[in-house]
Amino acid sequence: MTITHPSTDILILGSGASGAAVAWRLSKSDFKVVCLEQGRWIKPEEYPNEHADWEIQARTNWAYDPNVRSLDVDYPINVDESPIDPLMFNAVGGSTIHWTAHTPRFHPSDFRVKTLDGVADDWPITYEDVEPYYDAYDELMGCSGINGDPANPPRKERPMPPLPIGPDGERMARAFDRLGWHWWPSDSYVNSIPYRGRQACNNCGNTGFGCSRGAKGQTDVAIWPEAIANGVELRTDSRVFRIETDADGRTTGASYYDADGEENFQPAKGVVLAMNGIGSPRIMLNSASDAYPDGLCNSSGLLGKNLMFHPYAMVSGLFDDGLKTYKGALANIILCQEFYETDPNKDFVRGYSYQVARSSGPVSTACGYMFGRVPWGADHHSEFGRRFGDVTVLGVIGEDLPEEHNRVELDPELTDSNGIPAPRVYYKLSSNSRKQLDDAIENAETALHEAGAVEVLATQLLKVAGWHLMGTARMGDDPKSSVVNRWGQAHDADNIFVVDGSVFVTSAAVNPTPTIGALALRTAAYIDRERADLKS
Amino acid sequence: MPEHDNETKLTDADRLVLSAVMDLIVPAVDELPGAGEMGLAEAAEEFAGKEVKYGVSLGRVMEALSLEPSARAEGGFAALDEEQRVAALQVLEANIPGYFDDFVDLVYIVYYSDERVHKRIGWRSGPLQPLGWEMPAWDPAVLETVSKRKPFWRKV
Repeated sequence: MTITHPSTDILILGSGASGAAVAWRLSKSDFKVVCLEQGRWIKPEEYPNEHADWEIQARTNWAYDPNVRSLDVDYPINVDESPIDPLMFNAVGGSTIHWTAHTPRFHPSDFRVKTLDGVADDWPITYEDVEPYYDAYDELMGCSGINGDPANPPRKERPMPPLPIGPDGERMARAFDRLGWHWWPSDSYVNSIPYRGRQACNNCGNTGFGCSRGAKGQTDVAIWPEAIANGVELRTDSRVFRIETDADGRTTGASYYDADGEENFQPAKGVVLAMNGIGSPRIMLNSASDAYPDGLCNSSGLLGKNLMFHPYAMVSGLFDDGLKTYKGALANIILCQEFYETDPNKDFVRGYSYQVARSSGPVSTACGYMFGRVPWGADHHSEFGRRFGDVTVLGVIGEDLPEEHNRVELDPELTDSNGIPAPRVYYKLSSNSRKQLDDAIENAETALHEAGAVEVLATQLLKVAGWHLMGTARMGDDPKSSVVNRWGQAHDADNIFVVDGSVFVTSAAVNPTPTIGALALRTAAYIDRERADLKS
Repeated sequence: MPEHDNETKLTDADRLVLSAVMDLIVPAVDELPGAGEMGLAEAAEEFAGKEVKYGVSLGRVMEALSLEPSARAEGGFAALDEEQRVAALQVLEANIPGYFDDFVDLVYIVYYSDERVHKRIGWRSGPLQPLGWEMPAWDPAVLETVSKRKPFWRKV
């Protein structure tokens, strides 16, 4: 028998980067808000960094890849037709638990790629529309960084100074200086000083697996405590399988399984989907009905389509000066955006960023996460000794352009532990992306050699790198070519909103989370300002 | 011969072979014996029993090794000299590269999780927290060159 709960005003699905932002913003008005999260609260002492076997946990129960982790709260993803594995985490905080919190912003040009470069589509909004929400999200999560970056527009001062770039970062920065290339200290949602009751980072390095100091901007520590104190109900172990609608196609709430596998129904006046660029289309596709035979709010036929990752290449430099490059936040050193924009002299459009990253512990070194697997046998120890603590990485983030054939569908056979259909991902790397990456690899080799690398190794395309899930419920002004409007509101139902990376029109060449959070705050502000009808 | 579905069950004879193989994967260095002689075969077997990917790779490598012609001679793998043993592993590496790579990772995982190894390579054992690492403080002087550059972001 279905357990039916008292009705709420706004029901948020997912407690990560975007869901928490909406909850927090609406908690400051008098909306009644419930958030359903399929995962649970994770205690700081559970994080791998608190355990001696952290490198093993990083490969097993704390792996980035849900197909490797295979926890009950995870859902499997069919990746047979994708060269890139989608990555995510399911808990209060969502994927902000295991992100590295590198937080650059989109450029103004990223919202206008059709106008400027004749590809993809323009966004229905501008950088200026989003800018105040970027500032608000930076403040909420806690941004470390410094003004004056010549590659980006002037902006409000960050709440904290940059993280230390360390001797390895400075070595790379000097190389960029000598080449006349841009670089700037990374913006990071990692505390460089104590911030709002959370400690400063102590450079342990392993930012990718939850921070027990609370130094990383995870929504479970940065946002949820205040939202809950303001009256939001966050209900964990609640796995949504269907968004319910009435005969007019408007939502009436969502159905979910609780921890005991019981079916529940949470009625609501409005529903906000915040389950990431794969999770949201998955549940929308699983919510087909008479009103929506092809999936919820899918009159455009674009739901699940235009999936964008950031295809990552990794170019690793091996040095011989013993800088111990495992010290410091893993992927938050400096950013190079010398090649960010379209160059008419090149055979591809749009561009890429370099995210300078560090190495890690001995297991990672031996297994080759940063510089290839160390050979076994007679040369093993000398090779390990050369690599351990002596690798600096230039991660290439290329702008992925939307293509309809890259998509998320429901798998006809694969399900999660509750029997809900799992997503199946189709993704083909475009020739434009390949050319971007090739160019980036060549330039990265130049930079690493300039920095003094004695050997450089390029990984042409990282497989375990689908951190950024975008485009599968894109925004736009035309209901025929987009799923949601400029406020994240579905064209087909005015009380359904999408606020995660699904709404992205294009992907830019930077990590997406500040943009996801800013857009979520913008949608919440719209609901607060314009949608009193959703309030009881 | 190991049985394998999701768990790896090795016989005593398998364990001897595994230990010998691990000594070839990570040989002795300085004061440390090879990975097998350090007694890490048991840890590898235990870890493989918990993690399907490594369990499968361990099973496949042990199985393939038992079928490898040079190792099927009288006395088996144990009777081969070091050069022959290395050659046998190289055959496996070429024939079942995916499984072999995972197997090598398995050996590395247990070896580089061992405190004796940490001591030799100068790595601080234990959790990363609460100690973290000391780093030089942020110094804005590093921006001297790049901050002179004029803004070049693309105007819209």
